[in-house]
Amino acid sequence: MSPSGSPRIRLEATEVGYTYPGQTPTRALEGLNLSVVENEFVALLGPVGCGKTTLLRIFAGFLQPTTGIVRCDGASIEGPSWQKGYVLQEAAIFPWMKVRENIEFGLLAKGMEAPARRALSDELLTLLGLSAFEAAYPKELSAGMSKMVEVARVLATDPSILLLDEPFGALDAQTRARMQDELARLWEQRRKTVVFVTHDVEEAVYLADRIVVLSPRPGRVKQQFSVSLPRPRSLDTRFAGTFSSLKREVWQVIG
Amino acid sequence: MSLVDRTQIKRALVALGAIALLYGIAAEIGRWALPHRIWMDVHYIENVELLPPYRSLGEEMAFLLESWILPSSIAVSTGRVLCGFVLGSAIGILIGLATGRALRLEYLAEPWLMLLRFTPALALLPLYVIWFGYGEASKILLIATNVAVVTLLGAHQGVRAVPQVYLDAATSLGASPRLAFWKVVLPAALPQIFTSLRIALGLAWVTIVVAELIDAKMPSLGYLLTLAGAYPRVPTMLIGIGTIGALVLACDLFALAVYAKATRWMRRTG
Repeated sequence: MSPSGSPRIRLEATEVGYTYPGQTPTRALEGLNLSVVENEFVALLGPVGCGKTTLLRIFAGFLQPTTGIVRCDGASIEGPSWQKGYVLQEAAIFPWMKVRENIEFGLLAKGMEAPARRALSDELLTLLGLSAFEAAYPKELSAGMSKMVEVARVLATDPSILLLDEPFGALDAQTRARMQDELARLWEQRRKTVVFVTHDVEEAVYLADRIVVLSPRPGRVKQQFSVSLPRPRSLDTRFAGTFSSLKREVWQVIG
Repeated sequence: MSLVDRTQIKRALVALGAIALLYGIAAEIGRWALPHRIWMDVHYIENVELLPPYRSLGEEMAFLLESWILPSSIAVSTGRVLCGFVLGSAIGILIGLATGRALRLEYLAEPWLMLLRFTPALALLPLYVIWFGYGEASKILLIATNVAVVTLLGAHQGVRAVPQVYLDAATSLGASPRLAFWKVVLPAALPQIFTSLRIALGLAWVTIVVAELIDAKMPSLGYLLTLAGAYPRVPTMLIGIGTIGALVLACDLFALAVYAKATRWMRRTG
């Protein structure tokens, strides 16, 4: 909380535009304004190719906006850093490292000693129920499990901001629902500022505090929805009347 | 977990047995069907066995072993191959890793690579003899050059082929370029580097035989073949060819075993 009493703004995009260079330059974003406050869970929702991933990569520091400014805690974002934990859309688990080594990678990068790394990875392995797989190579994991290891790898360094790019996009419906529950549970335990990119309306409604719908390319904020469903959310949430009506409202904006 | 499974070994043995049997039959037929007297440039050579039967091969083998010609030739040639291979792969991999990481280096190295890539070993040999003399240096450096070109390409392409997602993940987790290189780039490029090492090892054997044919001295497998051709003694030739083949195969199996060990993470069961 800032002294004025309103929540502190962590991430802020002001009039952000991004054009991919090339023979036919693609305008991915244009005049986009968005701010995310401390410990807020924001879902970025929109059709394929609306620039959701572009915006997330700008927040992550991998892209510099062509126009406008992005700030993190008031300072302009210069590049990637572990403070903004970033889970990529693609499978980015390191296949040559065992599960534990994967989880400890960020800690190794921080220069943490082996016993401390081990203590932290133990904690995360237990938290995610992956202890039995600590010595397994990613090949031996299911798709859902390896994505969870990627999330754990990012959580290990304890970033205060989490940027998740369709982390469960490639999973089947059941695994997806389980992963959503898992993520919701994690977030209840360790509050973080989250920007979650998805094209799945139900996922957005189930997880987020606020849903930001982007327009088709060039992406800008089309509409926002506040999700006031009670937490912790559960299976009951998914079948609540308010859940369905919000889903319907969002659908209408997207379609 | 074994590298080569039982069925593969069985198949290889059956194939080998079939070839051995066919050769035996062909040699027996050849004894009366093939000429024993051939014209070579200026005169006839008598008592030639174009397809020597096993008995002749056995006698020749016994002679080559007893006189220590074959063992010492194997030792000398293998030594040269290994020296050249280690030297060449060390240089090749180091440069390949560097050019894979740095674009400017790549621009600098590319024309040389294009030139050397398709240059046959034999073409370089006269030059190397002038530069490095008739001794060991030119032979070993010739092998090293060939090995270096292949492994350089392997390491370079291996580094280039590392998926961007891994690099992005490493960067966003706070990895320094150094850590990312050792823990991400290198292991991700390793399969391709190993593949190039395997190819290079085979190439090293091809090169050594060529190199030893030119500046021929005993003991060496290349000269053994040259001598066998001068007499001519077909059994010696066949034993020489077979020996080189067996050595290449042994090297390849060894390389394969190391490769399998180093890339355990790629297979589902480990």
